[in-house]
Amino acid sequence: MAVEVSRRRFLQGSVAMTVIGGMSMAPSDLFSNEEEHGSQAVTTKTGTGEAELIPTLCEMCVNKCAALARVEDGVVTKLDPNPMFPKSRNMLCPRGNAGIQALYDPDRLKYPMIRVGEKGEGKFKRVSWEEAYDAILNGTDKFPGLAKILDEEKDNRSTIFFCAGEGMAEHTFKTFFNGFGSANWLNHASLCLRTVVSGYGVTIGAYPQADLENAEYIIMAGANRAEAIVTPDTMDFFKRTKGRGAKLICVDPRFTNTAAKADKWLPIKPGTDLAFVLALSYVAIMEELYDKAYVEKYFDGFTQYKNHLYSEGYTPEWAEKITGIPAKDIYEIARDFMKHAPKAVYYPGRRSTFAKNDFQLRRAMAIFQALGGGIDTKGGLVFGKKLPLKSHPTIAPMYAQAEGVDVERAKGHPGYADCAIVSGGGSWIGFRNRVLEGKGLYPIRGMFLYKHNPMMNMPNTKKTAEFLKKLDLIVTIDTMPSDTVMYADVVLPECTYLERTDPVKTFGGPEPAIAVRNKVIDPMYETKPVIEIMRGLTEKISKPLFEITKKYDEDVQDDIADRGEEEVYKDFDLTIPFKHSQEELNEHAVSGYPGAAEALKEHGVYYPNMDKWFKKVSVNEHVYYPDDKKAYTVRGGKPKTPSGKVMCNLKNIAKKGVDPMPTWRKEYEYSVPEGKFRMLTGRHAQFTQSGTANNAMLHDLINENYIWINKRVAKKMGIKFGDMIEVSSEAGSTRLRAYPTEKIAPDQVFFVHGFGEESEELTWAYRSGGNDNAVIKDDIEPVYGAAVMHSTNVEIRKV
Amino acid sequence: MARYGMALDYKNCINCKACEVACKEENGVLLGADKHRIWVGVKEIEGEYPLLSIASNTFYPSQCQHCDNAPCEEVCPTHATHYDENGVVRVDPDKCILCSYCMNACPYDARYVDDRTMTVDKCNFCSDTRLARGETTTACQATCPTKVRIFGDLDDPNSEISQVLREREHFSLKPHLGTKPKLFYLM
Repeated sequence: MAVEVSRRRFLQGSVAMTVIGGMSMAPSDLFSNEEEHGSQAVTTKTGTGEAELIPTLCEMCVNKCAALARVEDGVVTKLDPNPMFPKSRNMLCPRGNAGIQALYDPDRLKYPMIRVGEKGEGKFKRVSWEEAYDAILNGTDKFPGLAKILDEEKDNRSTIFFCAGEGMAEHTFKTFFNGFGSANWLNHASLCLRTVVSGYGVTIGAYPQADLENAEYIIMAGANRAEAIVTPDTMDFFKRTKGRGAKLICVDPRFTNTAAKADKWLPIKPGTDLAFVLALSYVAIMEELYDKAYVEKYFDGFTQYKNHLYSEGYTPEWAEKITGIPAKDIYEIARDFMKHAPKAVYYPGRRSTFAKNDFQLRRAMAIFQALGGGIDTKGGLVFGKKLPLKSHPTIAPMYAQAEGVDVERAKGHPGYADCAIVSGGGSWIGFRNRVLEGKGLYPIRGMFLYKHNPMMNMPNTKKTAEFLKKLDLIVTIDTMPSDTVMYADVVLPECTYLERTDPVKTFGGPEPAIAVRNKVIDPMYETKPVIEIMRGLTEKISKPLFEITKKYDEDVQDDIADRGEEEVYKDFDLTIPFKHSQEELNEHAVSGYPGAAEALKEHGVYYPNMDKWFKKVSVNEHVYYPDDKKAYTVRGGKPKTPSGKVMCNLKNIAKKGVDPMPTWRKEYEYSVPEGKFRMLTGRHAQFTQSGTANNAMLHDLINENYIWINKRVAKKMGIKFGDMIEVSSEAGSTRLRAYPTEKIAPDQVFFVHGFGEESEELTWAYRSGGNDNAVIKDDIEPVYGAAVMHSTNVEIRKV
Repeated sequence: MARYGMALDYKNCINCKACEVACKEENGVLLGADKHRIWVGVKEIEGEYPLLSIASNTFYPSQCQHCDNAPCEEVCPTHATHYDENGVVRVDPDKCILCSYCMNACPYDARYVDDRTMTVDKCNFCSDTRLARGETTTACQATCPTKVRIFGDLDDPNSEISQVLREREHFSLKPHLGTKPKLFYLM
């Protein structure tokens, strides 16, 4: 058999053969006291002498895979997979392996800094931690501090808002938010998985996991597990595709690496998945292929849903016109799925909201899955088990002057002004735009930001920049000088995940476990873990801020008259949750399990009977739980909704103006004006959004992102591989190089997210490739106000 | 004494390139996109959108084939390239004069120049790192998310690689050249 296998790799992204590093950087005073900036990243060969292996958890993406860090002479020389963690199944992906470069990145934030230039200019001076905390409380001649702002706002704590990216220490930061007393918390959810989690939540009672180790038939639509790696799904699944036990139907407008592993790839028109699922459900119900016993027992509103599908005429023939998928394929897939059910999975996915109808799409997917009875069962969607942890002391003071969440009720409607439901993580775009347009209910003046990069992570970068400039006080906690850090007033440098112990975490699923991120080496430079930053900050600000509360809060004044100040302050003492070390808090959290604290130190992982059950069965494979102990079924198939039923018809939601049953609307149809292209974005396996943008090792794999343009279209436009292209929309423009390919439709373009940062302090990431969010419009969907990523039409031209 | 080889369940490969990074970090391979001991070979897809050939889009993880009959060893004028006691094709940096004959002779394009040591470098099955410490896997095998690789002793009939090669059909690359590679692609 002749096979072309060459090291001269000509493929998307990995094309640039330029040797990276060693670029000269413009002089900057960001690291004015250091000459380390700009030095080369290196790899270190592992030695054969003494070494320590420390179990930790990866933070190069959100999966939290278990790793063993090899430490030689105080230097981390290698990260290897830790085989003992059932979730990550003895593997580390390219990003996990490249964690060493995040630790030793020469561009890292090293010292606390305060702004000395104009906002957004990126001019800072190095200060001590004490000076940084003081600047947060009392401000400088460039910006006001918390004391002034809260005094002016009469102790309305909600004038300061908090936002965080996903991470194990997010919890610690959120504890500070709770104590501070603001009503405004924004996290990544409305830019990520809000609609999918809630869609499944209201329909079957939980966002489930998919048992891809045992499913026989999988529809993967709008999810790309070969490139957007999720553990254990990716590892379980791709050992079984290609005629080896798992049949894969991949539904995606572009041909991904997941499509390359599929039995069938269906190039669907962007944003029309809902019509596809409705037609699948139509076939399953009208041909009576569904699991009648399951539907009888666990469905609520089945007849209404059936009548709805019938009366709306959601036939495969109807769906073909909307989706571009042939009706005969839809019939075949619906029949095959139901034949394999309950060992069939319509994969829930995890990713961003692509279209305005995303909430309804996820509802329709959950209902279709349930029609086959594949809920809470082996080979289907599973709820799994979780090992509970003990909680730790926290505080939740009441500030009478703090206003509620900054969202307006829509006039004459029961919902909110820009979406129907306000979730815990808020609507980032809705919030930003309200502040920007001066439509807030009260002034929003400052923000605390942890591990979050709104300049890169949210559609319409131009608006985000204007928004950040409007705020009086921005405090960022981060490891890297990101585009957002450039807008900060106070920069607090966090240590990387390899330099800290984080809150111990319990991971649910069929094979539940507890795992911990143990500190591998001491924090470098003057960086600190979040818990220590919170300890130092709260010691500084807790009492002075209480003085402001005393001044404006009549409830507190009355309470002091009653109980005395010392007693009342105990409820407002922000330092309380941060008094103990993370190690002490973790030991307490697992104290209900004998031997767990020791196991977590030694192995990084614990679950009951691990010492008996965990076994190596081959050079690559391990067993974690005996088959009969895996929690595939925990409720006998019963959904987790309050009613214990699959909710087809949500009457409560109808009151808020949301379709009570998944319904296709004319406005969802796909169309692109002549001469324009629909802009698609997505992931690949080598980078995690903008979080890994400056990783020297990962730049070896993909130096910059490329825009996919259909080959025939590119030829017509005179565009060749590597040509510089300007992509523009009504939101803005960006530039990146062209990759003509047949893997994309003639009226669409695609490039991966996370590239094109503008911070000059990032040696590798600075202007490497294009930023999708500079081009994507800030449309939001109507239920949760989540960002819609695939609704922007763009123009392209060669420059 | 062993005769090391590697079996690759290449259909598992999702082209994530974890193996490339693990190899670089383990063996201190220089940074730079053109410096790598292992790689994933990919072909551009055949067909026109939307009629694409799924089968044409394959991923072939690859590296030095550790040939039993290695052309690189044959042409090396200083014997820098040699077989070690485990049948692994190795390069002695002290003897290498960077004449690059081996790079031209290798039919698998497995060699590159290490600018730091000014020698030709390539995969050595982690012989001077992991194997020297007594470990039994290479870095690329250990890290692989979908467990493409099985490394082991071909002379040991009880090793997992020997068993797999007995039980499953496999092929090697460019067999007509008579190089007798010790990398085996499982069907």
